[in-house]
Amino acid sequence: MTVTTNAPPDKRRTHGDVAAPPTRRRSLGDLKVAMIFLAPATLGFVVFYIWPTLRGAYLSFTEYSLLSAPNFNGLANYERMIQDSFFWNALVVTVEYVVLNIGLQTILAVGIAMLMYRLTQSITVRAVILLPYLIANVVVALVWYWMLDFQVGIVNQGLTYVGIDPVAFFGESQWAIPTIAGINVWRHMGYTALLVFAGLQMIPKYVYEAAEVDGSTEWKTFWRITLPLLRPVLVMVLVVTMIGSFQIFDTVAVTTQGGPINATRVIYYYIYERAFTRFDFGYASAMAMVLFAILAVISLVQLRLLRAKESDLA
Amino acid sequence: MTMTRRTLLKAGLAGLAASAVAGCNNGAAARGEGEVIYWLWDSAQLPMYTECAKVFHEQNPQYTVKIEQYGWNDYWSKLVTGFISDTAPDVFTGHSSKYPLFADKGQVLPIDDFVAKDNVDLSIYQKGLADRWIGADGKRYGLPKDWDTEVYFYNSAFTEAAGISTEQLNSMTWNPQDGGTLEQIIRRLTVDSKGRRGDQPGFDKDDVKVYGLGYADAGGGDGQTSWSWYAAINGWKYSEGEPWGTKFFYGDPKFTDTIGWWRGLITKGYMPAYAQAKSGVDVTTSFGAGKYGMTPNGSWMLGTYGGLKQVKTKLARLPIGPIGKRMSMMNGLADTIWAGTTRRDASWAWVKFLGSQTAQDIVAKAGVVFPAVAASMPAAKAAFAKSGWDVTPFLEPVEAGDVFPYPANPNAADVTAVMTPAMDAVMSFEAEPASLAQANDDVNQILSANA
Amino acid sequence: MRQQFNVGRAVAWACLIVLMLVTIFPFYWMLRTALSDNTQLPGHPNSLLPVETTLGAFKRVLGLSTLEEAQAQGGSGAAVNFWLYLRNSLIVATVTTVCQVFFSAMAAYAFARLRWPGRDKVFALFLAALMVPPIFTTLPNFALIKNLGLLNSFAGIILPGAFMTPFAIFFLRQFFLGINRELEEAAMIDGAGHRRIFFGLIIPMSGAPIATLAILTYINSWNDYFWPLLVGQQENVRVLTVALGVFRSQTPQGGPDWAGLMAAALIAALPMIILFCVFAKKITNSIGFSGIK
Repeated sequence: MTVTTNAPPDKRRTHGDVAAPPTRRRSLGDLKVAMIFLAPATLGFVVFYIWPTLRGAYLSFTEYSLLSAPNFNGLANYERMIQDSFFWNALVVTVEYVVLNIGLQTILAVGIAMLMYRLTQSITVRAVILLPYLIANVVVALVWYWMLDFQVGIVNQGLTYVGIDPVAFFGESQWAIPTIAGINVWRHMGYTALLVFAGLQMIPKYVYEAAEVDGSTEWKTFWRITLPLLRPVLVMVLVVTMIGSFQIFDTVAVTTQGGPINATRVIYYYIYERAFTRFDFGYASAMAMVLFAILAVISLVQLRLLRAKESDLA
Repeated sequence: MTMTRRTLLKAGLAGLAASAVAGCNNGAAARGEGEVIYWLWDSAQLPMYTECAKVFHEQNPQYTVKIEQYGWNDYWSKLVTGFISDTAPDVFTGHSSKYPLFADKGQVLPIDDFVAKDNVDLSIYQKGLADRWIGADGKRYGLPKDWDTEVYFYNSAFTEAAGISTEQLNSMTWNPQDGGTLEQIIRRLTVDSKGRRGDQPGFDKDDVKVYGLGYADAGGGDGQTSWSWYAAINGWKYSEGEPWGTKFFYGDPKFTDTIGWWRGLITKGYMPAYAQAKSGVDVTTSFGAGKYGMTPNGSWMLGTYGGLKQVKTKLARLPIGPIGKRMSMMNGLADTIWAGTTRRDASWAWVKFLGSQTAQDIVAKAGVVFPAVAASMPAAKAAFAKSGWDVTPFLEPVEAGDVFPYPANPNAADVTAVMTPAMDAVMSFEAEPASLAQANDDVNQILSANA
Repeated sequence: MRQQFNVGRAVAWACLIVLMLVTIFPFYWMLRTALSDNTQLPGHPNSLLPVETTLGAFKRVLGLSTLEEAQAQGGSGAAVNFWLYLRNSLIVATVTTVCQVFFSAMAAYAFARLRWPGRDKVFALFLAALMVPPIFTTLPNFALIKNLGLLNSFAGIILPGAFMTPFAIFFLRQFFLGINRELEEAAMIDGAGHRRIFFGLIIPMSGAPIATLAILTYINSWNDYFWPLLVGQQENVRVLTVALGVFRSQTPQGGPDWAGLMAAALIAALPMIILFCVFAKKITNSIGFSGIK
């Protein structure tokens, strides 16, 4: 995509800046400059991402209570994990959550983006849609916990008004995870919709005009033209939101704390419980490693499968 | 445009540098040699402990106490973080369910030497309280500061309308087969949406407006305010050591029968379904909104129930069981010292003061909790009487010695992690009480593995 | 065609309006609850208007009510230094945003515009950091901050996020990739080095995405809860989100002070909303990235 500007190129000469011949010294010369530009980010990356990950990997082979030195114990943690029914339950619950959350969120986001694109360019609409994103996750969780309460929540009051029995959104095993998924969809659908909306704006008008000339209906245009052209944006959105979705924690910590029974004990919450309330950080690290591996695999598969790099437009 | 952006960025970097410098100073905030940092969780107790701190400082001018209060959930996570980061408070309120684990990990300081050196008189406390704070390793970790037991808080307007007398309420019997007179009263207090009581023909158990008995949760491994006394008066014990056992008895029929009966109340429509009880509005608030006839609860909740303006709450004694008497769990809090504190003497002085009659008299007069020192109890009784409470039902089991301790254990966190989902499953009818035998095996496995 | 379009449009509008209502209603509900008397709330669940309208909740949040008043309304008596926490949140969010955006822009430029061996592989490595579960990084980072003596300091809260996040680099790189090479080449021929190109050309041209990223970073930093909870416990560095915990359950058997909580949430969100209103046009117009290569 080209960007045009009216400013003339910079004609000022500077002292000391040697004009490097464009082709020959480029590959090495750039490296030195690149290192300067990358220095702070790399510092942060190594200190706050690489080192903790390596340390976490090491700790996953130890027994570590956080209060005293770690004890190396080989593969014991991983063996325990295979037998741990709570762990498998956590994986199942998390996958269930991710599927519901991402599925609903993406569909709604595309829907909202399409509605905004076709109906109105109003800033107000876009601003309103984005509003939930401004509120902290924990606050969103608490507000919905209050609104969905079985006894005094306004949603159940509304349901009884219409004649439906009140639903224990957080209290019943089969409703708990869908409810949490729904809450997070509420918070993120506007933001995701705006991302998709930007992608929509990138599709050149002539494509639609051509389709109309060919007699295509709205629905067909959407499926055959818009969606495929949106693919790069959608893939990016999917990958990032899916990774974030696997790491769901705040909402569970604030509302159900893993309950009822084990219906919302997602993997991330289980890891946190093990690490901080049961002083079992070695085991928690081992589970975190497994989670990391799963995420890496899923992301790679996604990127591969959806041919992220290509764009049908190019 | 370029210049302003550049200036902005430079300003940001300067800000970071400045805050880093300022940050370093903040971290090493000057704390006096005699300043003790003290944590507690109950906001209702804040005023009386602030008063204690003032008196303490007057008696010991070289020491000051800085009190910080955090809500129950945040309190424990902050404490753990503090342990890990060496920034824990010097003294903090401990709970029976948590201190054994902390002791096991070496995070709380044994005070035996201090007690011996200062000749602290341990007989001034209520019977059995001081020994509760002797850990599984035989070392003492705190001086008791208060105690609590359970009774039923009931809606006196409802009981009057139902024609139940105070005598009946205070002489209830119970057994796991038919629930005794307790169940009869609960049945009478339950009212369906058409106004029919539980013992009247045509009672619709699927459409209940007021439940006879309320509860907050399935009780986990302790059931302190939900089922502990039923099991106890049925002759059941948590473990073979009281409190330090090596195995639990959750599979014992005396226990599973009790839970079976308790759950049966839901089937009969006298208790709300588990999902309803666990909803966001807590049991006390629901009681205050007139949804329950009776709720069992601990003495620390007296202030909260007193604040319910729409309901006139009264107290009823727990029932007499098959073993022929009443029993209640007796628990209490104590202040414990962090093992990593750099102000040992100051901390011990504060703990000793809080365990003394001077401090406990202040606590007693506030009328919020029952002081551990027996001599301060009359003042507490009077203070509660001023708020309209006759707290004799709480006192009787203690005086008769018919109390049992909280099931403390160094592996409490692991036990809870097994028992809470297991009990939740039973109470929501996804598992049978017999499944608790399996949970018990899991628990005992954990205990033997960590022994 | 025109007839069908009107019906279709009407339905589409209806959907959009429903979605907007679903988005807005919880905010109204927060306001309604915050203006209610906390003790009366459970008794009047259907009332769409505040129950016994009172400003008590807001007073509690702002630290303006006395202990007795607060406890009478069922709230916690703990002191709330609202303005202090607001200041702390401002400091943390601002410094984090400025630094993170700046350093990430530099890195993004290196990945997008400079050519050097191994560039794409290193970029993939940076991206992989997205997948590291935060619990992994949290504890060792905590230990590191503690060893540096930076606990309970602003530096401690800000440092891990100050240098970069994978998302920021990715986001800006996408945009930088789309900038016309010819301009750059022209500047180079004129003798401008990379530093001058970066500050004089790339940054000014990227006003929109940089502003967008800055605002997103600000929002995330403002709403961050777990890390400031761990590192910033003391009053002088406690941020708003952490301070909200004051309104949660005080006793094992108690429930939260709902009115106070809703009031606190609204007030905590207010700066974000104001910021948003000022920059609304910029954000909503340029969220997203042009040019995915």
